[in-house]
Amino acid sequence: MIDLFPPFLLFVAGAALLPFIPNGHPRALAAASVPVISVYLIWMMPEGMHGQFTLVGQELTLLRVDKLSTIFGLIFSLAAFLGLIFAWYVRDTIQQTMSLLYAGTAIGAVFAGDLISLFIFWEGTAIASVFLIWARRTEGAYWTGMRYLIVQVGSGVILLAGMVLQYNETGSMAFEAMTLGSPATWAIFIAFGVKCAFPLLHNWMPDAYPAATVTGTVILSVFTTKLAIYALARGFAGTEILIYIGATMAIFPVFYAVIENDLRRVLTYSLNQQLGFMVVGIGVGTELALNGTIAHAFASILYQALLFMSIGAVLFRTGTAKASELGGLYKTMPLTMVFCVIGAASISSFPLFSGFVSKSLILSASMQEGYYIVWGILLFASAGAFIHSGIKVPFFAFFAQDSGLRPKEAPWNMLLAMGLTASLCIAIGVYPYPLYALLPYDVDYVPYTTTHVVTQLQLLFFYMLAFVVLMKTGIYPPELKSVNLDFDWTYRKLGPAIIRSVRSLIQAVWGALIGASLRGLNFGVATLERAHGTEGPLARAWPTGSMVLWIAVLLGGVLLLNYM
Amino acid sequence: MSTEMKTPETDPAKLPWLGRKLLWLDNMKNVARIIYALFVLCAGLIAADFMYSKKSYLAIEDIPGFYAAYGFFMSAALIIFARVMRVFLKRDETYYSPKDVESEAYPEDQLSRETIND
Repeated sequence: MIDLFPPFLLFVAGAALLPFIPNGHPRALAAASVPVISVYLIWMMPEGMHGQFTLVGQELTLLRVDKLSTIFGLIFSLAAFLGLIFAWYVRDTIQQTMSLLYAGTAIGAVFAGDLISLFIFWEGTAIASVFLIWARRTEGAYWTGMRYLIVQVGSGVILLAGMVLQYNETGSMAFEAMTLGSPATWAIFIAFGVKCAFPLLHNWMPDAYPAATVTGTVILSVFTTKLAIYALARGFAGTEILIYIGATMAIFPVFYAVIENDLRRVLTYSLNQQLGFMVVGIGVGTELALNGTIAHAFASILYQALLFMSIGAVLFRTGTAKASELGGLYKTMPLTMVFCVIGAASISSFPLFSGFVSKSLILSASMQEGYYIVWGILLFASAGAFIHSGIKVPFFAFFAQDSGLRPKEAPWNMLLAMGLTASLCIAIGVYPYPLYALLPYDVDYVPYTTTHVVTQLQLLFFYMLAFVVLMKTGIYPPELKSVNLDFDWTYRKLGPAIIRSVRSLIQAVWGALIGASLRGLNFGVATLERAHGTEGPLARAWPTGSMVLWIAVLLGGVLLLNYM
Repeated sequence: MSTEMKTPETDPAKLPWLGRKLLWLDNMKNVARIIYALFVLCAGLIAADFMYSKKSYLAIEDIPGFYAAYGFFMSAALIIFARVMRVFLKRDETYYSPKDVESEAYPEDQLSRETIND
């Protein structure tokens, strides 16, 4: 029975009605009001299982309302609102409706109480989001979108396989905490891992996110990966292997971010890296660690969106997001610069910014549980976050050498969206307790201690010192127009090359076989021709007399045999 | 890149208010001042380690300036490693084209290229 109005339906209805509203301010306003109503709906939902009904013998739960799903529902709605303000001037109906559907399916997924509904929403996010890449409407975006879609739908298919196996084993489709072991749980784990961009499963993200539209990338950065974080936190909290996966994720993308030229791809690598911190938190699995993961997901959705917005605004005004083409924009786009720096300070965990009060929960939890090496790795990864997103992105876009570009400040709606997001980043950093109150477990954590502030400032200022020293000595790698090979090279170049060589091999073998059999056949035919052909010995016309003689001999033989 | 956007001489009157204030950064002397300020801050932060009792889990944390050294050497190592990595991984922008957006121009109809001179 449906006893509560599911928030995802609101988004679906909004997306369906949007094309009938006059394009312009009315439609933008209608779109932006959907997530606002959704925040209200989610806020008012009582905890418990709602929206349960039976479909072909399966009990489905559309709304599992608890603290874990609620906080994700809230931040998804909030981020959708900010993203839609940022996209106020987008007049492309496909992007407008797909942004709403994408947010709606992601919110539907975090409230799904069973694997079937989760699967439907899981695939929904894949299909809705690809349109934000295709909306760029270039050949490159088409191919990139195709690759993205294959991976995303593939993740759903693996999830489907996992849930069928799970049903076979347990007879239940409930989406609850699982223990890794059976093929079913591994399949579900890998399906989540693909969307979470686990190492070597991550390439869809740096491939696709920078290919989306100015506004599309902002929307994309919010949902898919954080939905995967939610799913892992729900299904696999305390699974130790996640600690090592997360630690790898936190380092691996850093190096790429340092040498990447496209600043939106730099930010995508940094998003990938921030997910690593959250995955470690899920793996540690204590109350503090899970609180840290969720707080960090909340904070990182905001600062990551803010960073994508600021570079998006630069792209919108200059036509490029490449570090080698940009620089010196601080004079003409000062507000965008300030917002970018706020996002950068947040991701770098500067005291008084949001990353400081969320990431430290995960670091403390890994320390408390005795994962010292992982802690050291995360500290190293924090250095990475500071170098590529804290310094590189704002420095090469807004400072560095003068590119000669004199773009106008971003339009009002982009400034408004960035301003609101930046205020939230600061508000959470200055006063984290309302965020802590939303977390699933009670928070007994004080971020602002002398030790924490001084050690963090030491780290940050010495990161900065290292950057300055390496810049001054010319060791810092210059920004170059280039692409860097990542693991996707294996399926974009190596795989096709292998397929091509296998194809030529098969062609050669096939050709040889066919050739040999044809030659054999020809030889046979020729032999027959020689024996039975017009000139062949067996086809010669013989005189009638010799025929009669031979028949007489044959008859004689038969008679002889008969009488013997 | 359109050439009319390359206008290196900037009329301060056309800059936004905050941009005019930030012209201060155009003076290289001021940039040098910021860097000196960073040195002073770094020194101050190491000094700060002697002025309070650190709450630590690991013995290594108690070494004064541990975080400073870790921060400095880790970021330096990271940048140098990335630079070496690039020697092997760098390819031309057109490497994956046309199945990639890397070498494409962003579609003009989705941009609003306005300059301060417009």
